[in-house]
Amino acid sequence: MDKRAVFKSWWLPILFALPQIALILLFFYWPAVAVMRWAFTLEPPFGGAAEFVGWANFQDVFADPFYWNSVGVSLIFAFCGTASTIVVGLVLALAVDRQLPGSGLFRFLYILPYAIAGPAAGMAFRFILSPERGLMASVNAVFPDFWNPAKYGSHALVLVIVIFAWKWAGYTFIFLLAGLQSVPRALTEAAAMDGAGPIRRAVDIQIPMLAPTLFFLLVIMMTEGFVGADTFGIVHHTTGGGPNHGTEVMVFRIVDEAFKGLNYSGASAQSIVLIGLIMVFTFIQFRFIEKRVHYK
Amino acid sequence: MIQRTPFADTFTYVLMALGFVLLIGPFIVILAGASQTLQQVNSVPFRFVPQDHLLENAAAAWSRASLGTAMMNSLIMASLVTVGKVALSACTAFAIVFFRTPLKHFFFWMVFITLMLPLEVRVVPTYAVAADLFQPFRLLIAALTGIEVSVEWNLLNSYAGLTLPLIATATGTFLYRQFFMTLPDELAEAARMDGSGPARFFFDMLLPLSRTNMLALTTIMFVYGWNQYLWPLLMITDPAYKTTMMSLVALLPSENGTPDWNVTLAGSLIIMAPPLIVVAVLQRWFIRGLVATEK
Amino acid sequence: MKLSVIQSVLAGLLAATTLGASPAFAEKTKFEFWYGLSGDLSERVQDACKKFNESQADYEIVCTSQNGYDTTLQNTIAAYRAKKQPAITQIYDAGTLDLMLSGAFVPARKLMADNGYTIDWNNYFSGIANYYATSTGELNSFPFNSSTAMFYYNADAFQKAGIDFKPDTWEQVEEAARKLKAAGYECPLGFNFDPWPMLEQFSAIHNQPIATKANGYEGLDAELVFNKTKFVDHVKFFKKMADEKLFVVKTKQLGMDILPSFTSQTCQMIQTSIADHGTIGKTLPEGVKWDVAMLPVWKSTERQNSLVGGASLWVMAGRPEAEYKGAAAFLNYIATPEMAEWWSTVTGYIPVTKTGFDAMKAGGFYDKAPYKGRERAIESLAYTPTSQNTRGIRLGGFTQIRKEVSTSLEAIFMQNADVQAELDQAVERGNTVLRRFEKTYAGQKLN
Repeated sequence: MDKRAVFKSWWLPILFALPQIALILLFFYWPAVAVMRWAFTLEPPFGGAAEFVGWANFQDVFADPFYWNSVGVSLIFAFCGTASTIVVGLVLALAVDRQLPGSGLFRFLYILPYAIAGPAAGMAFRFILSPERGLMASVNAVFPDFWNPAKYGSHALVLVIVIFAWKWAGYTFIFLLAGLQSVPRALTEAAAMDGAGPIRRAVDIQIPMLAPTLFFLLVIMMTEGFVGADTFGIVHHTTGGGPNHGTEVMVFRIVDEAFKGLNYSGASAQSIVLIGLIMVFTFIQFRFIEKRVHYK
Repeated sequence: MIQRTPFADTFTYVLMALGFVLLIGPFIVILAGASQTLQQVNSVPFRFVPQDHLLENAAAAWSRASLGTAMMNSLIMASLVTVGKVALSACTAFAIVFFRTPLKHFFFWMVFITLMLPLEVRVVPTYAVAADLFQPFRLLIAALTGIEVSVEWNLLNSYAGLTLPLIATATGTFLYRQFFMTLPDELAEAARMDGSGPARFFFDMLLPLSRTNMLALTTIMFVYGWNQYLWPLLMITDPAYKTTMMSLVALLPSENGTPDWNVTLAGSLIIMAPPLIVVAVLQRWFIRGLVATEK
Repeated sequence: MKLSVIQSVLAGLLAATTLGASPAFAEKTKFEFWYGLSGDLSERVQDACKKFNESQADYEIVCTSQNGYDTTLQNTIAAYRAKKQPAITQIYDAGTLDLMLSGAFVPARKLMADNGYTIDWNNYFSGIANYYATSTGELNSFPFNSSTAMFYYNADAFQKAGIDFKPDTWEQVEEAARKLKAAGYECPLGFNFDPWPMLEQFSAIHNQPIATKANGYEGLDAELVFNKTKFVDHVKFFKKMADEKLFVVKTKQLGMDILPSFTSQTCQMIQTSIADHGTIGKTLPEGVKWDVAMLPVWKSTERQNSLVGGASLWVMAGRPEAEYKGAAAFLNYIATPEMAEWWSTVTGYIPVTKTGFDAMKAGGFYDKAPYKGRERAIESLAYTPTSQNTRGIRLGGFTQIRKEVSTSLEAIFMQNADVQAELDQAVERGNTVLRRFEKTYAGQKLN
């Protein structure tokens, strides 16, 4: 991280960094301190004197079966969301990487869903995958209740995962395509000369070479699934956490607990747990990114 | 290609077509639904053929959700966020990379840790800060000197409030840092020889050089800014500052029964358009930005 | 000042920012009023604000809809914490205790006395006033939009199905539902998971407690008990009816809530607020005969008064003195007989004062077609003098408790969960909320 030629002013770097550091102190650290404080007190909704309660808020959180439900929902959401985005992205990247005529157009199109905000996509999918109109109505007409996210928690969970995967598949696609294009052509061509077909080549050469990218995407997408802004937006605008807590992911529960339940302390305790989780993810991700940066 | 692989080629096209159906299909459904009448949009089976009612549905959505104001607000918000993020990340990265100061590690970690504090987990106290920007300073001053200062600066219901808490950016800063580190050392050396100061060097050399970088960052940050949901939802109570993401709720079929999804879909199409256009038209830059920031 | 320089520089940079309170050059005192009503009812509130602003020259009220009762409570709290609270805010019945213990408001009686208005506090219907008053009967907030749950039915469908009685008891409702079903109606009765009619109103008119300590009026240590009352049987009855497809779940998530299900004539009976009376009259096609009745009771029940619903207006503490003068003037204005009558006419809300009701009754308001039937809401509210179980509900975090109940109902009706087990769970989780509330306000007394 050191460069040889550097300037020696002591005040200029402070001046340059100050605006961002000030914003970070104000809008990240100061609020984080408040979250820490609330997690160990009972914060009255309207403010005022709060009593120190030690770990009681955490005990309450961990004793709550619906908290563990939200952990489970988050895990399923993040795992399934990550798996589907990576599988779809990988298949499409392998296809486009063959550079057949017209694949450029597909490459252009696949990225478009990534531009859409989670809640906006959620609204559209509420129509597209609605039980009584859109695409699924015909199926439901033959098999009643085959698909009903308002009624079945599992269907609702599938719905939000589909929305998440739809939006993020283009993102993994970009990275995997970039990864594939950096696989030396000589390698695949040599394999082709040996008579290996395209699928053979993909499985034996290309996918192993993609391992670092795949790992990177795994971490990024898991983080995104757990705490991403889209995760909250999709759930909030599509299912509202329901039915019967069926899609209540951890971030949704935190915001809901704080604002609807007026339980700032319980929400803060949950926040701290989540921050711990993010730290683990970020640690893995950062070590990895740093390596890539150095060797690039 | 060395081999002729007609079977594999066909299979590839089938896969790509499937990808098209999965990823672009929803857009077609939205477009078709948005251009149909109330009866058509609710008919089973759904017809994928667009009709010619798009404009009237869009007009209905526009007035129902006051999209005029909302689009303007979102545009202002996304632009301010973008400009702010690009400017601040360039400045911070400059301070981190080009100066020999013990503070550089401090700055780096300050910025880095923000990655672990997503908005969702600190939203309540962040709101409190936005409502009273000087509260932390006041408390600090009071704690240190015992003097009560009564200065307040409220950001609620303002563009500053919509944007300032979102402008700090670790990803942007790292992108710039990475870019600065790829520049040859001789560049800064030469600037020093010339006797031009660090500020001149930054504005006259680095910024022009980073044009590509800047454009890439601009595209991804604009999309980011436009798509903000939770923060505006909480901090705006005045309809004059509503953003498009907040108008989504108003677009849902009214509670009084008529399932006019055609209007809803037309409205969502309008809201989706700006970031979609950015990604479509500036795709090269957008991808470059994504891959470079790796997030 | 150095600071104002920084401020103006920043302001210049950021195009538009609000710089705290601007000096009051305007001669009118401006103050804010936040409310939760949305849609049509929101327009009516705006009309009321406009009327007030045109009626005098000293004050200007700025009215903002927060689109929903729960968001109004949330936003009020967030704003209060940030010291940006409005002068007046509309808080729904469930938020009453949250406000009462907050210390964040100016009591109604004090506000009016301080500003020289004399209000006849005894003029409020006791069923309404009790919900918002202290144990000694002092009103903390102003009853504003008051309602109660009613039973609506499609008289045309009843006639076609050969039903020649009014649905006064649940036994009759069941019989009517069977006849409607036999006559080919797919949805005889539509219902959702709103605990307000199903739990709260049902418990009151059947004289069943929801919680100990007189539903919370006598102490913060109240505990929920609705898993041991007639309410359980009532839910079991609903479940049986739902299984036979006589009662049908209608929610927004399923595509249609109960109100549109009734106005689109999909469902022939619903229980909902009297406030919807106006909307139903306007929305049902011309010529369709329908009627409204008090909520049914189980046969051989001694009917008690129902609970007031809706919301009241709270004046928030910590505003400049001048705003309180304006707030008092506004509250006085909307309480005048003319305004009260206008408000009840354009919405379905009931008049909150006895004189208001009497004046409207004497004027023949309730005899004419579009408004006929609304007097039954008053009848329901004033059916008996209020008692322990019918006075109101004074429980902390009641929004959350309602959510627990509706989640349980959702599980019972959508996922076939066991009725008793689910209600036990709702009570247990609700009690956790109550205990946390008690601890948060430890040392505070209900007054």
